[in-house]
Amino acid sequence: MSRLRLYTAIYVVLFVLATVQAWVESAGYLDEAYWWAFAGIMVLSFAKAVVVAGYYQHLRWEPRSVSYLMVGGLFVALALTTAAAYSIL
Amino acid sequence: MVLTRNGLAAGDAVLAGSGVRAPAEVFNDIFVVFLVLGTLVGVVVISYTLYNAYKYRYRAEKDPAPEADRPELGELPEGGGKGKKLFLSFTLSAIIVLSLVVWTYASLLYVENGAAQAVDESNAEDALDVQVDGFRFGWEFTYPNGHSSSTLRVPRDRVVNLSVTSLDVFHNFGIPELRVKSDAIPGQTTTAWFVAEETGTYTANCYELCGSGHSYMTAEVIVMSPAAYQEWYNGTSGPSPADGPAANGTESSTNETDGHGSEMNAIEPATTIDAAAGAPVARATTQP
Amino acid sequence: MSHDHDHGHDFPPTSSVKRWFLTTNHKDVGILYLVTALFFLLLGGALAMLMRAQLWSPGANILSGGAYNQAVSAHGLIMVFWFISPFAFGFANYIVPLQIGADDLAFPRLNALSYWLYLFSGLLFVASFFQGATFNGGWTMYAPLNVPTYMPNVGGTTVVLALIMFVAAVTLGSVNFLTTMYRMRAEGLRMRDLPIFSMSILLTVWMMLFAFAALLAALMILASDHLIGTTYFTSDGGSLLWTHMFWFFGHPEVYIVFFPGLGIMAECFQTFTGRRLVGRKWFVLSMVLVALQSFVVWMHHMFLTGINLQIKTLFMVTTIGISLPFDLMVFSLIYTMIKGRIRFTTPFLFSLGALILFIIGGITGVFLGAVVLDYEFRGTYWVVAHFHYVMVAGATALFAGLYYWYPKITGRMYDEFLGKLHFVTYFVGFNLLYFPMFSAWETPRRVFEYQVGLAFWHKLATVGGFLLGASFLIMFYNMFKSLTAGEEVGDNPWDYATSAEWAVASPPPLENFPGIPSYAGGKLSFRDEPEPTADGGGDPVADTAAGAAADGGPATDGGTTAAAETATGSGVADPGMVATGGEAGVVTATHEADSGHADHASIWPFVVGLAGFLAFLGLSGVDEGGVYYPLTAIGGLLVMFGFVGMARQPFSAPEPAIAERWPFEGVENMKLGMWIFLGSDIVLFGGFIGSYLFLRVANGWHHWEHELIPAAHVTFPGLVNTYLLLTSSFAVVLALVASHRNSKRGVVAALVATWVLGVGFLINKAQEWLHLFHIHSDAFPNGWEIGTNVASSTFYLTTGLHGAHVIVGLIMLLYMIPRAIKGAYLDGDDEMLEYFGLYWHFVDIVWLFLFPLFYIV
Repeated sequence: MSRLRLYTAIYVVLFVLATVQAWVESAGYLDEAYWWAFAGIMVLSFAKAVVVAGYYQHLRWEPRSVSYLMVGGLFVALALTTAAAYSIL
Repeated sequence: MVLTRNGLAAGDAVLAGSGVRAPAEVFNDIFVVFLVLGTLVGVVVISYTLYNAYKYRYRAEKDPAPEADRPELGELPEGGGKGKKLFLSFTLSAIIVLSLVVWTYASLLYVENGAAQAVDESNAEDALDVQVDGFRFGWEFTYPNGHSSSTLRVPRDRVVNLSVTSLDVFHNFGIPELRVKSDAIPGQTTTAWFVAEETGTYTANCYELCGSGHSYMTAEVIVMSPAAYQEWYNGTSGPSPADGPAANGTESSTNETDGHGSEMNAIEPATTIDAAAGAPVARATTQP
Repeated sequence: MSHDHDHGHDFPPTSSVKRWFLTTNHKDVGILYLVTALFFLLLGGALAMLMRAQLWSPGANILSGGAYNQAVSAHGLIMVFWFISPFAFGFANYIVPLQIGADDLAFPRLNALSYWLYLFSGLLFVASFFQGATFNGGWTMYAPLNVPTYMPNVGGTTVVLALIMFVAAVTLGSVNFLTTMYRMRAEGLRMRDLPIFSMSILLTVWMMLFAFAALLAALMILASDHLIGTTYFTSDGGSLLWTHMFWFFGHPEVYIVFFPGLGIMAECFQTFTGRRLVGRKWFVLSMVLVALQSFVVWMHHMFLTGINLQIKTLFMVTTIGISLPFDLMVFSLIYTMIKGRIRFTTPFLFSLGALILFIIGGITGVFLGAVVLDYEFRGTYWVVAHFHYVMVAGATALFAGLYYWYPKITGRMYDEFLGKLHFVTYFVGFNLLYFPMFSAWETPRRVFEYQVGLAFWHKLATVGGFLLGASFLIMFYNMFKSLTAGEEVGDNPWDYATSAEWAVASPPPLENFPGIPSYAGGKLSFRDEPEPTADGGGDPVADTAAGAAADGGPATDGGTTAAAETATGSGVADPGMVATGGEAGVVTATHEADSGHADHASIWPFVVGLAGFLAFLGLSGVDEGGVYYPLTAIGGLLVMFGFVGMARQPFSAPEPAIAERWPFEGVENMKLGMWIFLGSDIVLFGGFIGSYLFLRVANGWHHWEHELIPAAHVTFPGLVNTYLLLTSSFAVVLALVASHRNSKRGVVAALVATWVLGVGFLINKAQEWLHLFHIHSDAFPNGWEIGTNVASSTFYLTTGLHGAHVIVGLIMLLYMIPRAIKGAYLDGDDEMLEYFGLYWHFVDIVWLFLFPLFYIV
C-alpha cells in the first residue's frame, strides 16, 4: 500500500521536528531571544500535532465535521487559558 | 435598603467640602433607575403575558382563528413566520438593556479610576490609605502610621483607599451602608475606595464563605468628624506587635502578583497618604 | 416489525427487580433517572428546610456554624448536580430517541453505566456526611478553603471524588447523546427539524461535553491537592486559578441546567396553545447563540477579584450580550399564545409559571451585569434570589414535563385537580420564599447572623420555603395514586401535540415503533421493516397493517404509498447509497448498516458502578489508612473485572439501516463516539496545561524556571520519551496496514511493538522521576518531589495524567494482543485497531505539547 510510504515519511518528519525543538534550546536561542524561540517551538508542536491528526488519525480522509469538532475543543481550551492568563497581567 | 441608621439616604449629595461623588451615591442612583425600569418592564411584560393567556383561553364554541392551521401529530416543523412582531419587541428590549449598561459604563470607569482621580478633582485632603487584612474570623486594619486595630476608624468627608488581602482563605470585605466591597484573596491585594458622609457606627461583613465562623466575621466601622479622627490618630503610635494575627508574621498578604496584578483601582502606593500631620508616612509594607 | 418474540425468555418484565439492574433500554434508564433524581430533590430540599429554619431569626441555634456550612454546601451541590440535570436527563433518555425515531441510544450499555455511576456517586456523597463532615465550603468550593489545610474532614475529599465520578457519568452521557442525535435520526428528519425538546437536549450535551471536562480538570487537581500533596491551590495565584476553572465550567453549567426546561416550555406552549412556536427558526438560533456565548461570560462571577479593567469590560459586554437571545425566546413564547386555544392543564400552568419566574429572574440578572451594581450585590442575597428564580424556573418547567409525559410513561393520566393544587401551592410558596430575598438582599450569603431589621423578610421566606416543600407532597401523592387509579390513556391524550412520542402507544413497546419511522413523505409514517435476513419473522404486509391500526392517527395516511415508493429493498447493505424521494423535499438519509437484533440486558454497568463506588470511597480515606486501603484495592480490581466483562459480553446495538446522518455520514457510531470523547479529553488536558501556564504567569514566568525547577531537570529524558511515543504511534499505524494486508503476524508484531515502546516510555519516566525525587542540591536538599513546590506539582501531575492515559492504552493493548494472536482484526475487521489508534495518537499529540512546555521552555 502506498500509504505505508506516506506514513513512514511522516514518522521521519516528526522525529526530525522533535529533535529540532530540543536543538533550539541547546543552541541557546531560548537564552538569547526567549519569546521568539518559544513561539517557534510551539509552532513546531502544532505542526506535528496537525500531521499526526491529519494522517495517522486519518482526519484528512474523514468528513470535515470531525475536524471541526476537534478544533472546537481546542478553541475552548485556548479561550480559557488565554483569558485567564490575561486577566492577571 | 438604602437607608443608613440615621434614617438619611447614604450617598444623597455631593459631599460638602470634599467635592467628591461617593461610590455609594453612584450605586444608589444607578440602583434606583434599574429598579424603576426593571419593575416597569417586569410589570408590563408579565401583565401582557397574563392578559394573552386569559384572552386566548380555550372556549369550545369559539375558535379565535378558525382558518388557522393548527399543529398536527407527526408534522415536520416549519421555518416559523411572524418574524416582524418578534423582531420589534426584541429590538426594543435590546435597546433598553444596552443603553442601561452603556450608561453604567461611565460610572464604572469613574469608580475604577478611583480615589486618585476623585481626590484630584476635589479640593479635599489627600486620601487615607488603610490596609485591610482578613483572616478566620475577623478583620485587621493598618493605618498609615503602622498602627493596627480591629476597628476601622475613618474621618467623614475624606476619600478612603482600602487595600484588601487575606491571611488565609478567600474572604470578601464589605461595608454595606457605605457601599464598598472588595474580595480578600490570599497572595494578592485588591483595592476599593469610598467616602463616608455621615458620622456614626457601621458594620463590615465577610461576603465569601470562609469556615464555621463566617457568620460572625464582622468589624466595626466608625466614621468620625475630621477633628475627632485627627485627635484619635495622633494618639496612636506606630506598629503594635501585640495586635492581632498580623503579628505572627505568617502572612504573605502584602505580596502583589506579578505586573500590576490585582488592583481594582490604579492607585499608585507612592502618591498617597500624607494625611496625618507630622506622623511618619508608613505604608503597609512596613507591617510587622 | 416487532421483536417481541426475542425477549420473552431472557429479559425480565418491568415488575421484576432484576429487570431494573440489567436493563439498558433508554425508557427504563429514563425512569431510573427520574425516580433517583426525585430522591435527591427530597434530600436537597430537606437541607434547605434546615437552613430556612435556622434563618427564621438571626442567630438561631438549630445548626452550629459548621453544620450550617455543610447544609448550605450540600444543598447547592445536590440540587445542581444530583437533582436538576439528572431529572432533565430522565426525560431526555425516555423521550429523545422517540422524538428522533431511534430505537434506543447509540450505546445502550454505556447509557446504563452513566445511570449507575450517577446513582453511586450520589451515594458516595451521602456517605461523606458520615466521614467527619461533608464538604463545607459552598457549592462553589473556593480555594484555598477547599484544601485539607482548611478542610481536614475526610468527607470533603469524598465529595470531590463523588463529583469526579459524576462527571464520568456526564461525559459518557454526552458522547452517547451526541452520537445518537447525529447518526440515528429517522429518514427525513434533518437537524433543523428536531423537535424543540430534543434540540434543547442537543445543545445541552454539547455544552456538557466541553464544560464538564474543564470541571474535571479542576476536580482532579483538587483531589490531587487532597490526596497526593500537590500545591496548586495553595500557591500564589492558586485561589484565582480555582475561580477561573470553576466558573468557566460554572457558567455554561447554569444553561446546561436551564435548557432542557426551556425545551419543555416550548413544547408545552405549542401543544397547549395549539399554535406553532412563533419564530421557531429564531428561537433555535437564539438557543445556539446562548450555548456558544455561555463559554465567554464566566468572569462576571469574578468582577471583584482584581482582574484588569479591560477584561472586566469585555465580560460585561458578553454578559449583557447573552441576555439578548433570552429576550427573543421569552417574546417568542408569549406571542405563541396569541390566537391560541389555551388549555390550562397542569403542564401548561407549570410552563407558564416557569416563564413568569424566568422573566423576573432574568430582569434581576441584568442588574448583576452592570458591573458597578455587581460590586455591591456580590456575595449577597440579591445573587441568591436571582439564581433561584432562574434555576428553579428551569426546575418548574421540568415539573411541567413530568405532568406532560406522565401519561406517556405510565399509560395513565394524573389527577388534574391535584395537579392544579400542586401548582398553586408551588407558585405561591416559590414567590413567598424567593421574592422577599430581594428585599433582604443585603444579607450576606451563607450567613445566619444577619441584621435584625431584615428578619421580617427572612421569616416570610421561611414560611414560603415550607409551603413550597409541602407542595411536593401533593405531587408525590398524585404520582403514586394515579399509577393505579388514573384513567388509562391511548397514544395521545393531548390535542395538538406533534412529536413522534405521541404517535406510539402509552407506554411505548420495548422497540418503540410499529415499523421504521420516516419523514420522507413530509410527515411521520411507519414503513415496513426490511426482510430480516436470519431470524425469520412475520409478514411485512401484515405488520404494516398492524402498524397502521396501532397508531391510528393521520400519520399513516401517506405511509404505505411512501413505503412503496422508496423501498428499502431487502435489507442488503449498500454503503453509500443515498435514499431519495418522497412527495415532499429531498431526503438525505444514508444507508450504512443492516438492522439486526438488539440486546437490552447487561449486568456489567451495575458492576462497574458499584466498583467505582467502592474504589472512590476507598480513595477518599487513603491518607487515613485502615479499611480504606483494601476498599480501594477491591474496588479497583472490580472495576477492571467489570470492564473486561463488558468488553467480552456479546452485545448488539445495531445502527439503523437508513438514517439521517449529517454531518457525520460515513463515520460509524463507535468511531464518532471515540472522536467526541477525544474532543472532551482535549479540554481536560487543556485545563491542566492552562493551569500550569496560569500559575507560571502568577508566580513569575522566568522565576519559575530559575528558582522552582532544579538544574537536574533536563530535556533529554523528555526527548527520549518523545521518540518512544512517536515510534509507538508509527507502530499502531503499521498494525492497521498489516491488518489491511491480512497479515496476522504483522498485526501482532506491530501491537506488541507498540506495547513495548509504551512500557519503555513509562520506565524512562519512572527513572527520571526517581532521579528527581532523590536529588540533593542546595536549592532542593530534600529532593524535588510532588509536593515540593508549585512547579513540581504541575510537572508531576500533568505528565502523570498523561502517563495514566498511556497506562490505560497499554491495558487496552493487553486485551487486544491475545485477540490478535487468535486472528481477530483481519479480513477487514479492523475497527478496534482504528479506534485504539485514534486514542493512542491523541495521547501522542498531547505529549507533543507537554514535551516543550515542561522540558524546554
